[in-house]
Amino acid sequence: MKILRYFFDTAFRNIRIDKWANLLTIISISIGLSILCAFVMITFNMDSVIQRWSNSFGLVVYLNQDISKETEASLQKRFQQDSDITEVTYISKDVALEEVKKSLGTNAVLIDDFNKNPLPSTFELKIKSSLLDPLVIKKKAADLKTLFGVNDVLYGEKWLSSLSVIAKTMKLVAIVFACAIFIATTFTTYNTIKIFFYRRKEEIKTLKLLGATNTFTRFPFLIEGLFVGITGGVVSALFILGLSSFTTLKVVEFMPSIKAIMAPFPLQVYLLIPVTGAFMSLLGSFIAVGKIRY
Amino acid sequence: MIMLADVKKSYDNEVVLQNFTMTVSKGEFAFITGPSGAGKSTLLKLLYCYEHADSGHIAVDNWIVSQLKIRTVPYFRRSIGVVFQDFKLLCNKTVFENVALALRIHNMEPEEITKRVIAILKEVKMHGKADVYPQYLSGGEQQRVVIARAMVTQPMMLLADEPTGNLDAENTRTIMRLFREINARGTTVLIATHNEDLYFGSGSRVFFLKDHHIEKEIIG
Ligand SMILES: Nc1ncnc2c1ncn2[C@@H]1O[C@H](COP(=O)(O)OP(=O)(O)OP(=O)(O)O)[C@@H](O)[C@H]1O
Ligand SMILES: [Mg+2]
Repeated sequence: MKILRYFFDTAFRNIRIDKWANLLTIISISIGLSILCAFVMITFNMDSVIQRWSNSFGLVVYLNQDISKETEASLQKRFQQDSDITEVTYISKDVALEEVKKSLGTNAVLIDDFNKNPLPSTFELKIKSSLLDPLVIKKKAADLKTLFGVNDVLYGEKWLSSLSVIAKTMKLVAIVFACAIFIATTFTTYNTIKIFFYRRKEEIKTLKLLGATNTFTRFPFLIEGLFVGITGGVVSALFILGLSSFTTLKVVEFMPSIKAIMAPFPLQVYLLIPVTGAFMSLLGSFIAVGKIRY
Repeated sequence: MIMLADVKKSYDNEVVLQNFTMTVSKGEFAFITGPSGAGKSTLLKLLYCYEHADSGHIAVDNWIVSQLKIRTVPYFRRSIGVVFQDFKLLCNKTVFENVALALRIHNMEPEEITKRVIAILKEVKMHGKADVYPQYLSGGEQQRVVIARAMVTQPMMLLADEPTGNLDAENTRTIMRLFREINARGTTVLIATHNEDLYFGSGSRVFFLKDHHIEKEIIG
């Protein structure tokens, strides 16, 4: 424990000696983290947009023309009990006809002559958003179609598959970018600590000749890296906090639509940013203080 | 105890030591001398594991140096004190901190470190310059700091490479008396030197290093 104090003293003396290089590293890390955050924020918001789109997605179950009231009732019960289905709306053939008439307006006279309603009764089903995958839905539709009394099951197949492609691509792009920024930021600390470490190579050699272990010679550098990472994280968190409160307080005044796409960050995120910074720069420092013999 | 058996050491293609055999007993006070470039420093470097022998066996106290694992080297080095010919003082640390460093590596309590460092600096007459940085010291002063750093850990083995090279007659006497004192407490001492005055009349064994091996051995 007593040696920890010495490590911290050494680390903070080194930080003071190299204050400009450390400041630059802190700035780089905070920029990297802020970009990373912006990316997470964009995907986070995109997710909610996609979520909203998918809320409008539904399966339409067309029933047989000659279906009995009992079968309809049992089908409705069957759908309501299905845990994959979140919402069941029944539209009787009469209501459907009224709808059509309404949409035709004055031309409604055209179909007034039908002595028999040609439209089937339908159920509109909303599916749990976690199941909105083209293959899963395809299977679900096929399952529903086998039910007694069901004539056909239709849904926006093209729409669903492009939605799923968009979502997947977005996720992939986000992950690739996040990884790239993660690596870049880690590399920034790696580079700085490596330079410090190599500049003190002679000193480290001497320490080792006096019997110092690798832990002893490397510990101050790890503390230095950790400090730089946490500070960079705090700077970035403050920056984002400022930016987001500026947006919610000021920009909203002349751009109200921004509210819809800007979900505020949960508070834990502001804690997570310095932790991420600490983790990245500690990792970079660990790699930087690799082997020096003797 | 120091033991070298049939050791060969070369740098690139230049042979420095060959068929080199030598033994120093536990608690002995011994000198090694020879012309410049004969390999005295190289011999000491082999002993504190800075250089590695091409072949042969080396043992220091209970440690088989020629087979030491990388991980155990630090613990071995803590058991010996070395006065380096080129000092190896840290220029960004004061005299006090330079000497204290050896004890910090031993993970000693700060109060104990302060006590011991002040005591040893008094012994080498450097306590007046405890807060000075090495580059503001004369060669002889730096040398005394290095000696203090080597002795402050009270090692069981002291290897000194030309420890009096920069010292005047009086300081030389002081340092030699210190070496004798630590030797009297059980530490084995091996000194590499050109200076005949150090060993003449000392009553200690003197090894003459020439042409890659011990040419002769006398009692000084
Ligand atoms: N790191 C090295 N690389 C290559 N050659 C070296 C190295 N160190 C020493 N030598 C060579 O090995 C020989 C022995 O050197 P060493 O320093 O052991 O001599 P020495 O006996 O200590 O001399 P001095 O009395 O001048 O200190 C010299 O010829 C020197 O040039
Ligand atoms: Mg030498």
